[in-house]
Amino acid sequence: MNSKLFKKDLEYIVSLVLSISASLLIGALIMMANGRSPAVGYGALLKGAFGSKYNMANTFAKTVPLVLTGLATAISFRSGIFNIGGEGQLYLGAFAAAYVGITFTTLPKGIGIILAIIAGALVGGLYAFVPGLLKVKYKIDEVITTIMLNTVAVFFTSYLVNYPFATTRGKLNGTEIIADQFHLSRLIRLSTLNTSIFFMGFIALLIYYLMEKTSTGYDFKLVGQNSLFARFGGINDRRQMIIAMVLSGALCGLAGVFEVLGVHYRFLQNISPGYAWDGMLVALIVKNNPIGVIIMSIFFGALKTGSISMENATSIPSELVLVIQSIIILFIAGEAGFKEKFKEWNAGRKVKQKAGERNA
Amino acid sequence: MYYMTKKLIQVKNISKQFPGVLANDKVSLDIEKGEIHAIVGENGAGKSTLMNIIYGLYEPTEGEIFFEGEPVEINSPLDAINLGIGMVHQHFMLLPSFTVAENIVLGTEPRKNRIFMDFKEAVSRTEELSKTYGLKVDPYRKVESLSVGIQQRIEILKVLYKGADILILDEPTAVLTPQEAEDLFNVIRKLVKDLGKTIIIITHKLQEVLAISDRVSVMRHGKMIGTLETKDADEQILAEMMVGREVLFEKLHKEKIPKEKVLSVKGIKARDNRDLIALDQVSFSLNAGEILGIAGVEGNGQSELVEVLTGLRKMEEGTFTVKGIEVFNKSPREIRDLGIAHVPEDRLATGLSSEATIWENMLMGIQHTEPYAIKGIHMNKKKIMERSDRLIEEFDIRTPTGDLPAGNLSGGNMQKMVIAREFSFNTPILIIAQPTRGVDVGAIEFIHSQIIEKRNKGAAILLVSADLDEIFRLSDRIITLYEGKITGEFLNGEISKKDIGLYMTGKHMDLAGRGASNE
Repeated sequence: MNSKLFKKDLEYIVSLVLSISASLLIGALIMMANGRSPAVGYGALLKGAFGSKYNMANTFAKTVPLVLTGLATAISFRSGIFNIGGEGQLYLGAFAAAYVGITFTTLPKGIGIILAIIAGALVGGLYAFVPGLLKVKYKIDEVITTIMLNTVAVFFTSYLVNYPFATTRGKLNGTEIIADQFHLSRLIRLSTLNTSIFFMGFIALLIYYLMEKTSTGYDFKLVGQNSLFARFGGINDRRQMIIAMVLSGALCGLAGVFEVLGVHYRFLQNISPGYAWDGMLVALIVKNNPIGVIIMSIFFGALKTGSISMENATSIPSELVLVIQSIIILFIAGEAGFKEKFKEWNAGRKVKQKAGERNA
Repeated sequence: MYYMTKKLIQVKNISKQFPGVLANDKVSLDIEKGEIHAIVGENGAGKSTLMNIIYGLYEPTEGEIFFEGEPVEINSPLDAINLGIGMVHQHFMLLPSFTVAENIVLGTEPRKNRIFMDFKEAVSRTEELSKTYGLKVDPYRKVESLSVGIQQRIEILKVLYKGADILILDEPTAVLTPQEAEDLFNVIRKLVKDLGKTIIIITHKLQEVLAISDRVSVMRHGKMIGTLETKDADEQILAEMMVGREVLFEKLHKEKIPKEKVLSVKGIKARDNRDLIALDQVSFSLNAGEILGIAGVEGNGQSELVEVLTGLRKMEEGTFTVKGIEVFNKSPREIRDLGIAHVPEDRLATGLSSEATIWENMLMGIQHTEPYAIKGIHMNKKKIMERSDRLIEEFDIRTPTGDLPAGNLSGGNMQKMVIAREFSFNTPILIIAQPTRGVDVGAIEFIHSQIIEKRNKGAAILLVSADLDEIFRLSDRIITLYEGKITGEFLNGEISKKDIGLYMTGKHMDLAGRGASNE
């Protein structure tokens, strides 16, 4: 009885696969235009991403921030409030974790980590609460405020790590190293993959459950689809939007926390190379579907990890991967239009066929 | 071919394919010179598509059009205008902040020195036009200050100014009061009799068809069912042709229910979106087992009244009590919990989410309550689907499954979905706005009978409708609203449709004092 719904989902999966294939094809053409063999290039990329235990570990390590920021985007966009401030929330969350890690050095292991996680989520959430409130109360566009708050957060933490919290050992643009008991254990030798992937898995499961299986998830979705209808039906749409924003900010904050506790062990001035933006792309590509976010994050993580090996092995620049990512987005953005054109063409053909039959 | 001269426009075997819909399927139609030709059909029957093809807005997938016996290709409205075909759309295409004269000459403005618009010339042309056709307008007035009836008159003048001999009017009476509609019909008759114009009028109001047209063509599901002389037609025949089966305009059975006041409204004052006063000292009461109809020309405060009573709009003064509990600016949730359900006037904007599935739409309002949410948290998909499927069957919503997006439903089925949901809450009070707007004849019958059934079971129903026929058909009592004030209150049967039109337009203020009793 779900056949129709499946048909719609299937349609989307088909266009997604087509988009990705087309982008990879264009990537291949670019390689060929530069006199390189796509087979060799993609081979190196694939090997770089999944070729060994170490490579796979790196791929999954890259997935952690992508999943968290991707889910952050999914939950806010689905609720009709657009959190573009993930990067700023990530920075502040990361700094909060580092602060806890260098301040409360006497805490026992488990409690310390939990405190750092809570602090990061709280700070990220609070930082998203402000634009959420401004949006709901004063109708100030959250897209603009969150983008601007990114810059504020990045420069503010940059000030903090260069002045009040600068490490005394060398000029690193970072804080001191967090106390040992805050370090998340590494899972594979030489790789940065650490236990944060389990936290991430647990959080992703929770968010999936919230978004897809609960009445609150229903409220989020319906507010995003038609806020007037939601209000009419008794949902407090304004409150719901703020909650979505805060949750989204908290998830981005967590992405920052795990970078500190699991990867760098300190806050660094440029701790994120734009994880939140990549997470946003991931969520956009899969239309804010939580399961899709996870799958697409692994794909993006693989592209990132593999591209470096590809550059080393074949001297094809790793930036090619950015081109491929962008082309996927372009195709997905055009999906509705392509589908329409295809259907129109198909319909036109059928009518002509019919007319032909009658004439014959 | 001796009759060729009489046939002005001939449409032969026109088809129009939209993605997924065959909007016109081998439609043929001929329009004779100097006739008033009505085109009727349910929503989505293909009337507007056909007219848009004749007016050059759509290109037909197949078929031909002949003008005075010659095959023509109408590729744009400009081609249509060159043939003398003009169209007055359902939604007016006027610039509200411009004067009448400016609106009429728009696009072909008289100029001074080729650059500057010659306003004086525009005025004199407007006056001349107005005199020729006997349509009185003030060229200097700004359009925004004029009533809907006059705005429509300007639309007609605009088309005539461009030299149209054939006028296509798309649902011209949808927004008019009975008086304005009568005026319009006089204008139409005059244009045809005295000035030799030809009129094509699209409508779904059968009484109007019978009153004004010479011939009538009926469309259904994109096909032309037939054309008949109006004198040979009656409402029953036309309705059957439109729906494809017998339609019973039976009298609705109403039971007597003991009176118990469940809603009383006192001195409500509220503003509209432009911050102007939309409701002023509105007071009335509503009893169990009755339908109170609110009649008024659209934009006289009905929408705001409904919004205030359902918590979607704040009031400045006044209060209302639901079963003795006083309400002042409570949230929609609190008001729903007091026992008011609401069928909103604009189902697409307020009443549903077209992206969400039917079952999701059905769930709105009870998503946090047992048994649909286990402990208020986990959605119980099984129970939710059971209820949704039951409502789909009970309310005859035509869909293969409840798992489809609501946007896939036709207008009538969407409305049935909204009504099914709101009625299923079994609240003592129902506020129903425009229940059959844009809904086809078959669904109208069904919705009306459902409303009456609710009433007979003792619900108190506030019915807001722009369709006077509907108000008269369903209501026990009628209140008229004009510029945010109640101008009259009557028992159904006490007043004629014509007279109530005067209250709706504030033209019988002297009588209104007597009518607006305070109960």
